[in-house]
Amino acid sequence: MKTYPMILATILTFFLTSCNSFLEEDPQNLLPEEIAHSTQEDLLNNAVLMLYTHVGGNADSEGIQGTGRGIYDLNTFTTDEAIMPTRGGDWYDGGFWQGLFLHKWGVNNDAILNTWEYLYRTIILCNRSLKGIADFGVQHPDTDVSALQAEVRALRAMFYYYAMDLFGRIPLIVSHDNTGTDMKQVERSVLFRFIVKELQESLPLLSSERSNWPGEYYGRMTQGVACFLLAKLALNAEVYTDDNWTDGQRPDGKQIMFNIDGTERNAWETTIHYCERLTAMGYILEPDYTANFAVFNESSTENIFIIPMDKNLYTNQYIYLFRSRNYNHAAAYGLGGENGSSATIEVLETFGYDTPQQDARFDYCYFAGPVKDLSGNQIYLDDKVTPLVYEPWNVKLDVSGETYEKTAGARMKKYEVDTKAYKDGKLFDNDIVVFRYADALLMQAEAKVRNGQNGDNELNAVRQRVGEETRTATLENILAERQLELAWEGWRRQDLIRFGQFTRAYHSRPQLENEASGYTTVFPIPESIVQRYSESMKQNDGY
Amino acid sequence: MFYIYPEGLSLLRINDKDLGKTSEILKTMKHLLCCTLALSGFLPVFAQNGPTETEVPKDSVVNVGYAVGNLKNLSGLVEQITEKQMNKEQITNPLEAIQGRVAGLTIQKSNNGTAALESVRMRGTTSLTSGNEPLIIVDGVLGDLTLLTSIYPTDIETFTILKDAAETAQYGSRGAAGVINITTKKGIAGKTRVNYSGSFGIAHAYKHIDMLDGDAYRKVAQENGISILDRGYNTDFQKEIEQTGLQQNHNVAFYGGGDNSNYRVSLGYIDRKGIIDNESLKLFTSNMNLSQRLLDGLIDCELGLFGSVKRERTLFDLQKTFYSAATFNPTFPNFKNPTTGAWDQITAASQITNPLAWMEVDNKGEASYFSAHAKLTLNLLQDLKLILFGSYTYNNSEDKQYLPTSVWAKGQAYRGSQRSEALLGNLMFTYNKRFNKHFIDLLGLGELSKETYSGFHTTVTNFSSNALGYNNLQSGALRPWEGTGSYYDEPTLTSFLGRANYAYDEKYILTFNLRADASSKFGTNHKWGVFPSVSAAWNITQEDFMKNLPIIDNLKLRVGYGTAGNLGGIDSYTTLALLRPNGIAPVGNSPIVTYEQMLNINPDLKWEVTRTFNAGIDLALYGNRLLLSVNYYNSKTTDMLYNYDVSVPPFPYSTLLANLGSMRNCGTEIAVGITPLQTKDMELNINANLTFQKNKLLSLSGMYNGEYVSAPEYTAIGGLNGAGFHGGYNNIVYQIVGQPLGVFYLPHCTGLKPDGNGGYIYEVADLNGNGVNLEDGEDRYIAGQAVPKVVLGSNIAFRYKQFDLSLQINGAFGHKIYNGTSLSYMNMGSFPDYNVMADAPHQNIKDQTATDYWLEKGDYVNFDYLTIGWTMPTPSKGLLKGLRLAFTVNNLGTITGYSGLTPMINSSQVGSTLGIDDKRTYPLSRTYTLSLSINL
Repeated sequence: MKTYPMILATILTFFLTSCNSFLEEDPQNLLPEEIAHSTQEDLLNNAVLMLYTHVGGNADSEGIQGTGRGIYDLNTFTTDEAIMPTRGGDWYDGGFWQGLFLHKWGVNNDAILNTWEYLYRTIILCNRSLKGIADFGVQHPDTDVSALQAEVRALRAMFYYYAMDLFGRIPLIVSHDNTGTDMKQVERSVLFRFIVKELQESLPLLSSERSNWPGEYYGRMTQGVACFLLAKLALNAEVYTDDNWTDGQRPDGKQIMFNIDGTERNAWETTIHYCERLTAMGYILEPDYTANFAVFNESSTENIFIIPMDKNLYTNQYIYLFRSRNYNHAAAYGLGGENGSSATIEVLETFGYDTPQQDARFDYCYFAGPVKDLSGNQIYLDDKVTPLVYEPWNVKLDVSGETYEKTAGARMKKYEVDTKAYKDGKLFDNDIVVFRYADALLMQAEAKVRNGQNGDNELNAVRQRVGEETRTATLENILAERQLELAWEGWRRQDLIRFGQFTRAYHSRPQLENEASGYTTVFPIPESIVQRYSESMKQNDGY
Repeated sequence: MFYIYPEGLSLLRINDKDLGKTSEILKTMKHLLCCTLALSGFLPVFAQNGPTETEVPKDSVVNVGYAVGNLKNLSGLVEQITEKQMNKEQITNPLEAIQGRVAGLTIQKSNNGTAALESVRMRGTTSLTSGNEPLIIVDGVLGDLTLLTSIYPTDIETFTILKDAAETAQYGSRGAAGVINITTKKGIAGKTRVNYSGSFGIAHAYKHIDMLDGDAYRKVAQENGISILDRGYNTDFQKEIEQTGLQQNHNVAFYGGGDNSNYRVSLGYIDRKGIIDNESLKLFTSNMNLSQRLLDGLIDCELGLFGSVKRERTLFDLQKTFYSAATFNPTFPNFKNPTTGAWDQITAASQITNPLAWMEVDNKGEASYFSAHAKLTLNLLQDLKLILFGSYTYNNSEDKQYLPTSVWAKGQAYRGSQRSEALLGNLMFTYNKRFNKHFIDLLGLGELSKETYSGFHTTVTNFSSNALGYNNLQSGALRPWEGTGSYYDEPTLTSFLGRANYAYDEKYILTFNLRADASSKFGTNHKWGVFPSVSAAWNITQEDFMKNLPIIDNLKLRVGYGTAGNLGGIDSYTTLALLRPNGIAPVGNSPIVTYEQMLNINPDLKWEVTRTFNAGIDLALYGNRLLLSVNYYNSKTTDMLYNYDVSVPPFPYSTLLANLGSMRNCGTEIAVGITPLQTKDMELNINANLTFQKNKLLSLSGMYNGEYVSAPEYTAIGGLNGAGFHGGYNNIVYQIVGQPLGVFYLPHCTGLKPDGNGGYIYEVADLNGNGVNLEDGEDRYIAGQAVPKVVLGSNIAFRYKQFDLSLQINGAFGHKIYNGTSLSYMNMGSFPDYNVMADAPHQNIKDQTATDYWLEKGDYVNFDYLTIGWTMPTPSKGLLKGLRLAFTVNNLGTITGYSGLTPMINSSQVGSTLGIDDKRTYPLSRTYTLSLSINL
């Protein structure tokens, strides 16, 4: 009988002593945070370079450009620049594309929510990186971390710029351990001033290297990128400092002042200043427009900020060519296509399509009419008899059941075909152009005109490069020129808003009721966010 | 209408010649009987001289989890299914043997007959993450559903089902979703005997979706002036991808033993050829049980080994397969283009592919499973035992897949290997003592378990030749970064259990369990969870006042309450702030992989808890020829583990695994067993069970870290796929607080209206009166639930002399199905790129807006199988000890109002396919099986 208590005691002891260590986790396949920030190199990798995996993307609504249903689509398919016609069984997608085009995107739109989440996720990651860098700085007082800090702050400012541009009045979150109490909207003008200040303060600490050229700073936030952003911000200052955008009034750019290195300048002067700094840094127009979009465009003298693409190495995708080309068109290149996005009637008119005055850039940016493969042979449809002919003028919101259901609309060209591309052509080697110098020249021209000066030189520099006749730099000509020069580059929504034309009616798109107030110039805050924080968050006016 | 009772019934003491006198007594009985028998619709006809054999011997000893009990002394609900009650159809997975046999147990077979089970649910879905599948125990080895593939159905002696919390509490967190305890057959003392059982079956598809054939396709195009790609053929691709299914099962078992030892060894082989091209399964199993008594009975030693090797080839992407087969241009030929040597494709139909080209996709899986266990029972005293148990299981599986260049741009190969090991050891004391009228049974247990999971996979693309595929990955030019991965984790679980079972005079029974579990997966201060349960039963039959009612063989009332914890199948390391590779930073000079958290960390994760109350009554009448069991349960899950949608910001990622929210499940299960006819030559058994189940999502919000976190009002679970269904308003099934899990939340369609061009579109009602808006919270309403409210399982078994017949009828009622297949295939807007249903041109709908137009009632009654068997009369001598021949037809037919192929789609597993019939249903098929069993 004595044996039981002994056995019991032994066993209990065995269990209890082994329990604690037995229940501890010892991860072998994941990295503890302290290791990821242990050396200066680790810090650079995991606090700074890590953020760049979020600049491009391969999933819907992720990345600044290259993917679908994100920032680019919200800036493009909501305008008179591009349309995604419903083609029978294709591209209806529960009414999503029609909703974008008609400005009936609703307050519970998944794509808008996902875009919002993408932007804030990268912002929070920036905040955490800043905390990690600051901690490292405290632990290693002899190390200078200011350049890293500046780079992350400027990147965060860029993401805030996109968020402010899309959503207007949004929470400004800058700490690494935010909670629901931070969910307070700040006025758009406050946000705007914050972004400008962050960029201005970071600018001198950033690298002066070219970001679009291979090297240590390839694809990174450098002085050129920050200057371009500051010019863009100043050019749109009238819009961004307008906290009540549905009242039909807007501040005057001449009255909006910026302090640059101790000098006060108005919005237009500020734009001009930063554009001039770009010129001084050595950015110049490429003699050949198409060189900027070539498979090897890493030597472009004009591109400022790009998303580096390397089909063998990186995961960033560019789906815009893939989703525009007709199936047979793509197949002729050995790639894939989804037969979707097309140019609108307005684009055809602006380019003077099929007229003697057709702009040279139409052929650089669009496929229209009969299409040929890379050897110059006509491409045929599946029946091997009917030639593939795009019908630009037959485009409209829904072409289902029509003769040109599959061929209506001019398609996207722009980027040189990388015949060695992978994943249906979504993984190619052409770097994605986000900012380029031609835009800076057009911004400069516009700022000059708005400031009462003459912008002809800048405008015509852009026109002459493609062999087009000179035009007078009027606001109207500049808006048209921006369409001609920057087609498919994701600027149209912002430009139309700045020119007060975003809410106007055009082909296939009637103006919405009450839209003249301008309420659609910002997207709704995702309704689920407003509901969760109903005490501190308010839906944008008009929604 | 009259009843005939056998003489053997003591109370009535009547015989069929004396009917007149019985009428009065019968009248009083009639009311009671009718109530219970109404369920089956059969009136009992009791014949004379029947042996009063009982279905479940009431004194039988059953394994109740760790405890071994006597049914009389149990206060919880324990159901035991012996071989006699198992399904007789051709079985691939052991659980098919009890499908429809246990109230409250929903077993959904996958529809191809080769692959594993789709889902198993006991008393509904109690957790939102996972951990909804019951714990499977085979001879003490704990595992999940995959464990079952290594057991050959014929080797199973009994299934013991633990449903209520009072008994599942013995398994703590692992038993939260019920326990299915399988005991395999052991050796029997005596001469060595051999048993062979085998079967051979043929399956064929008999029903397809009625699409336009090639000629009608051409005609419709011509009439509507639509230009089509006419290749001049008339091909029914739905039939082209089919083959005749062949099935065979073989099992040989040897068993025997002496006074102190016995053994049983069995080998099994299952071979299946599915009804769709290339589908196949080969499964080898073996099972060995040994027991040895040592030191004059001081030690009992049991050893068991079981293992299996499975090889299968399955369809890759069911939806793509059946969507393509139904809608691919029927004028295309059923052979390759002789000029190019490849299958012709239609580029404009981008969401589908040539179905015959798709058949060249090579998708294979291999899994090997091995388990060894040993049990030492030290009979220290007559009443006291010390039991040591240890088990080790090893599972290795490999998936390989090749998508040839004909269906995948430049080809793609995938190969992945997973390995898991589980080590479990426990030590248990049992003490039971009977003194006077008291009976006490005590149990104490300590248990340690450690699992190791590891694996890797890689994807290779850009093949120059299709010849080698996954067998030589160097045939592919490219290995994308995101296509390769590996993992390793090692969760542990420590548990203690105390159990006391007390019975007074076999009348009053009380059981108390206390289990404590600790998991490595939870945060430092939340590892332990303590889960008590208590149950009581009253054996009314044992009371003196019942002695006057001898027709009642058993009347027992049970009531219990218990808590169970659930890990919800969460991953290891989720409470730790760890970083994982987030990609190659596309910047700088050299490729650098950087690290990021990638998910919101919740250091405070803890156990999800389900509290269940249950009550039941068991009744047996007329020498156990009428059995009735009614059980009620009501459970509430709190601290529900779920990936809650959280707001970004303040969180960086949009979901957070947390313990918030709650859900209620309640239901009533009624099981009836009747033996209306029982003579030497004839026997009729009718068993039926009805389950009424209700689920309600109570809350998806709560406080996290001092902050109120709530899921959005409407969370979509499932939607439609295919051409024109990418995003937008295509969500169908939702999870909405205050509603059952999985409700249809849809716009209301008032009918079809002309689209102005000769076609029709769905007219959507403006429900809230401010213009039609398809967004959530606008013009949508809750249109029904996806999970059945009532489930029926029933079996009619009849024996006449050596012949027997068994008919299984299952059904489900009260739920709806979204017919996304018809919504897609009735849309003339997708013609001619996608073929349409034969009726589509007539209706001329040119719209694919998802509304309630295609929401249909899902009620059905399915005749699962019919078996006719012949058993050889037991010979007194000779080599042959027994022989049985049987013929089975399964899937006899379905009675339903549902217009799609079959209403038997996923209606139990909460996921993207719940309640949605969307272009992925197999053609209906029937199997004819001949089986043979020999005992030597």
